Amino acid sequence: MYSFTRRRLIVVLLLTSVLLLTLDRSNSGLVGGVKDAFGVVFRPVERFANVVSRPLSNVWRGVLDYSDMRKENLALKDLLVKQEGAAIAATASVREAQELLALNGLPTLAGIDSVTAQVVGQSPSNFTQTFELNRGKSSGIRVGMTVTNGAGLVGKITGVTLERSVVMLATDPEYAMSVKVGACTRPKATTTAVPQTTTTLVSDGSTSPVTDVLPTTTTTSTTSTTSTTTTVLQRATTTTIKGFTPFATTLPPVPGGGGVTQITVPETGVLLPRETGAMEGQGIDRLPVIRFIQTSSRLGELCEGVPVVTAGGSQSLAPADLVVGTVSRVVTRTGTSGPLLEVELAANLQSLNFVRVLLYQPATEIPQ
Amino acid sequence: MKRFFAIIESPLTRAFLVGFIVLSFQTTLFNTLRPFSVVMQVMLLCSAASGVAAGSESGAIAGFMFGFMYDMVLTSPFGLSALVFGFAGYMAGGVNTFAYSPRWWFKMLSIGISSAAAVLIYPAASLVVGVDGLLQTRVIGVAFTVGLFNAAFALPAVFLMRWALVKSKKQMLWAE
Repeated sequence: MYSFTRRRLIVVLLLTSVLLLTLDRSNSGLVGGVKDAFGVVFRPVERFANVVSRPLSNVWRGVLDYSDMRKENLALKDLLVKQEGAAIAATASVREAQELLALNGLPTLAGIDSVTAQVVGQSPSNFTQTFELNRGKSSGIRVGMTVTNGAGLVGKITGVTLERSVVMLATDPEYAMSVKVGACTRPKATTTAVPQTTTTLVSDGSTSPVTDVLPTTTTTSTTSTTSTTTTVLQRATTTTIKGFTPFATTLPPVPGGGGVTQITVPETGVLLPRETGAMEGQGIDRLPVIRFIQTSSRLGELCEGVPVVTAGGSQSLAPADLVVGTVSRVVTRTGTSGPLLEVELAANLQSLNFVRVLLYQPATEIPQ
Repeated sequence: MKRFFAIIESPLTRAFLVGFIVLSFQTTLFNTLRPFSVVMQVMLLCSAASGVAAGSESGAIAGFMFGFMYDMVLTSPFGLSALVFGFAGYMAGGVNTFAYSPRWWFKMLSIGISSAAAVLIYPAASLVVGVDGLLQTRVIGVAFTVGLFNAAFALPAVFLMRWALVKSKKQMLWAE
């Protein structure tokens, strides 16, 4: 039977829990302060425990992970060789894109300061997915800032102390981010761009106008003096990367080349439309999903493999065009709910070591 | 000075110190050892062991304290672990109601079941406070593994918590 003391004890503990939960959910600064103070006292003890238990951890890892690690090491070496060449080409492309963005006065990721931090701890819970970093407020990190690694989006900062910060991974059920996803391209049988060219010649009238132009790079003109060529391009299919359509390369005017000026106008549909949706984490062992994407004639067909990038915007915690990953599965749903897209994150969240915290805050988050 | 030593030797202080040290190993050693990708919950083990060692009330209070300490290092809703661990301690303490002097296997069973129950309750409780997405089928596997591990290490944990919470064999804290 329940005694009065027993009942009172249960009630007191329950009420205390409710009080703590209420304080936490109302974002009270008290909870953060208490946690910070506890962290200051606990950190040295934890460090000591880490030193003491390290040999045992190493034995555990050695026994269970050695063969996997050898295989992984060989696979990574192979991958590294393949990636080296691609990385050089990608760097050149990124630089070119950044120059173009800067030239047009558009914001770029290169203009955002960042802090490199090391992952020093992991959540001991089976439910939450967080990592601890060795940098905090003193390095300029604030709650809400985006965390990336070399591959792409990792998560966001959810807690900061003076020298430490906590990162919530993008796969955590509480994580949400506005993202953009594009329609997929459909490669055609031909491997070259087929331009439809209309050439207007302003000449002395001695020759007939040229109306047939070879693909993109060569404009055959028998006329002399100044000419203006307007090229309407169809979808180029020189790449197999889904969701990526390179524009036709328009060569700059060659000095002394007769003064030919080319104006490239992409045909409607060459600029692939992008739809914005909300990416939400689904927990451990599950891929994040994108909701609120509507299939429309404007967007075209959604397919696997298309890249997903952050949407950005005045209220988004992440800047625009940060790589998130690729669509791994499209789940069509009946009714007006729209399709559900599963996202394979570009960053490998299982083996994080060094990450980059973007010191980016939208205007709405900056304290006045 | 006598008062100081009395405070130091009090069961609550000892339990706090035990919890503090166990928490440091929870966040380091047991965070690394992940059999079947499941983190072993030694704080939960200590909570349940408190109940078996010192009764339901002591188990509830000690479990609440351990959960509260665990909440300090987690990003999950503050107070949720305290609530669930307190429940685990209380539930495990029920073994003393069923048997005057429970056998070793009964203690193991009690700790294993209460730990597994706590793991199952945690995502359900988090759903109540507005954190959805944790209640998945994976939880069953996690609960089974945690329950098995905690049952395996139940006896040393009960010994430790008896040292912390019970002044002597006959004299229990918060005895009825």
